[in-house]
Amino acid sequence: MSHVNTVSFTILVALFLLVTLIGFAAARWRRADSMLHLDQWGLGGRGFGTFVSWFLLGGDLYTAYTFIAVPALVYGVGAAGFFAVPYTIMVFPIVFVFAPRLWSVCRVHGYVTPADFVRGRYGSRGLALAVAATGILATMPYIALQLVGIQAVLTVLGVGSSSNSFLKDLPLLIAFVVLAAYTFLSGLRAPALTAFVKDVLIYVVVIVAIIYIPTRLGGWTHIFGHAATHLASTNPKTGKPFGALITPPAGEWAYATLALGSALALFMYPHAITGVLATGRRNVIRRNMALLPAYSLMLGLVALLGYMALASPAVTAGVKAGGGNAQLAVPLLFEHIFPSWFAGIGYSAIVIGALVPAAIMSIAAANLFTRNIYREFFHRSASPAHETRVAQTASLVVKAGALVFVLALNKSFAINLQLLGGIWILQTFPSIVAGLYTRWFHRWALLAGWAAAMVYGTIMAYRQPVPGETGSHFGASTAAVPLLGHTAYIAVTAFVLNLVVALVLTAVFRALRLRDGADETLPADYSADPVGAPEQVPVRSAS
Amino acid sequence: MTQPGRSGRNPVTWAIIAILLAVGVAGPLVVPLYARTAPKLGPFPFFYWYQLVWVPIVAILAFAAYLLTRRTSRGAHRAGQGRRDESR
Repeated sequence: MSHVNTVSFTILVALFLLVTLIGFAAARWRRADSMLHLDQWGLGGRGFGTFVSWFLLGGDLYTAYTFIAVPALVYGVGAAGFFAVPYTIMVFPIVFVFAPRLWSVCRVHGYVTPADFVRGRYGSRGLALAVAATGILATMPYIALQLVGIQAVLTVLGVGSSSNSFLKDLPLLIAFVVLAAYTFLSGLRAPALTAFVKDVLIYVVVIVAIIYIPTRLGGWTHIFGHAATHLASTNPKTGKPFGALITPPAGEWAYATLALGSALALFMYPHAITGVLATGRRNVIRRNMALLPAYSLMLGLVALLGYMALASPAVTAGVKAGGGNAQLAVPLLFEHIFPSWFAGIGYSAIVIGALVPAAIMSIAAANLFTRNIYREFFHRSASPAHETRVAQTASLVVKAGALVFVLALNKSFAINLQLLGGIWILQTFPSIVAGLYTRWFHRWALLAGWAAAMVYGTIMAYRQPVPGETGSHFGASTAAVPLLGHTAYIAVTAFVLNLVVALVLTAVFRALRLRDGADETLPADYSADPVGAPEQVPVRSAS
Repeated sequence: MTQPGRSGRNPVTWAIIAILLAVGVAGPLVVPLYARTAPKLGPFPFFYWYQLVWVPIVAILAFAAYLLTRRTSRGAHRAGQGRRDESR
């Protein structure tokens, strides 16, 4: 890892430049008369069809989480890391149910963010602020996870191995500044267009990897056999086995709740909702729920790269040399198995696969800040152009915030960054999803449920040490459930607490006849399918 | 699901849609059922191939549900159109 592989590095730089060009050129794609409107900058014109949306949502939801964090966890602990597969299966039936209703009501009222909807539905600025703040907070560790993915590739490439910590992080900073620049200019059009490059690269690399790598490592039987032996052996750091090839009975609750909790949480993330709201017609979402599982199949295969990495002595030695950083497993596997030119393509797939979602996430968080914090509390009469300028600036600030998470949190398993975000974002589920069906919940009861769950979830996550390091924090996302005793994903336990508080307090507040906010939506809004957005700007052809 | 029975929608069709989607969630959720090695599919332990097989299954379930929603909402759409016009 000491000297840079010129071929791999050149290919990575070339593809990065290509994506950068596309990112800047995207500002002219499907150009509208005025780009200074959040419907344009923040939602790409709200007119994407099934094809573009498939790439955009795929580019949005399958991130460095898929290519780095999940295989790293499988590499480290085995079956427990495979929960990402049931997670990305269950998510589609769940989203199929409520996303079209959210799309309709947001289209009718011109809502840009989930917090806009909560504001309109409950007439509560406080509840909308809670939803917006949670969205921004939960997005930051998720962007941080993308940075960890890019960092892993750069480390394996040997770029930035200088002892000077500024020079060490310089390549990552350059990549991030370039990303920030074209996101600032092109808004959601940039990731929508670069997602094509990303997904083509990813599919090619994954298909080649899954066919070619096992032939170089003695076949699948050997790979699974080797993984089973290794996972059953004792981890010197903890004195327990590394993991297991099949989830043991004691791990079943954690496995199921991690999958279910993540699935419920995914489409509460601002970037996922942004992808939904950017679609042009109501049916595009449901059609995509049948098409997006193609990415989940890929995720399952990528997860198995973790076992392939275990079966390669060169990779396990490389991970040890890298301070036991399991995130290096997949890039190292590419380095040792593929010829340098194809390893370069593999690295590019990972890096671009992290940049695309990072752009969407920062746009979504910027939309939330602008609409639900800046406009709501500081500048009530902000014009659409003013809003867009604020959002552009906010997208830069959000990326800086993500850097803080990268520096501050333990990275032994980067997936914990995403799971921490999941603990927080799932707590907005009752306000958003229940609100799509009923106005029975009282706004203050929802706020109290959210607050209780946020406090409980954060404290529980804080108290989990990194395995083998007593006194450390934020080291795991599962904990024993009070009263029940099983180990489960903290997000789900907190979610149950959230619902119980909201239910009980709503009953109390209704009995006390506490004043409730005004609802500006109508029942028909939730199934409406208007062709254009209310304030639709005429769209000119790009070429 | 989405207020069955309202706006002239067929409750039977909505029940079928609900079942299709519920199956898609339940299949991967019943961990004790598939946390085992046998029967293997080639070199793949049951735990792995069972979950991977659910990916195409859920795609088919979602597509079937999509076709059903299109069929039921076509009749409802006309009714909904009239109602929305009134509310404007």
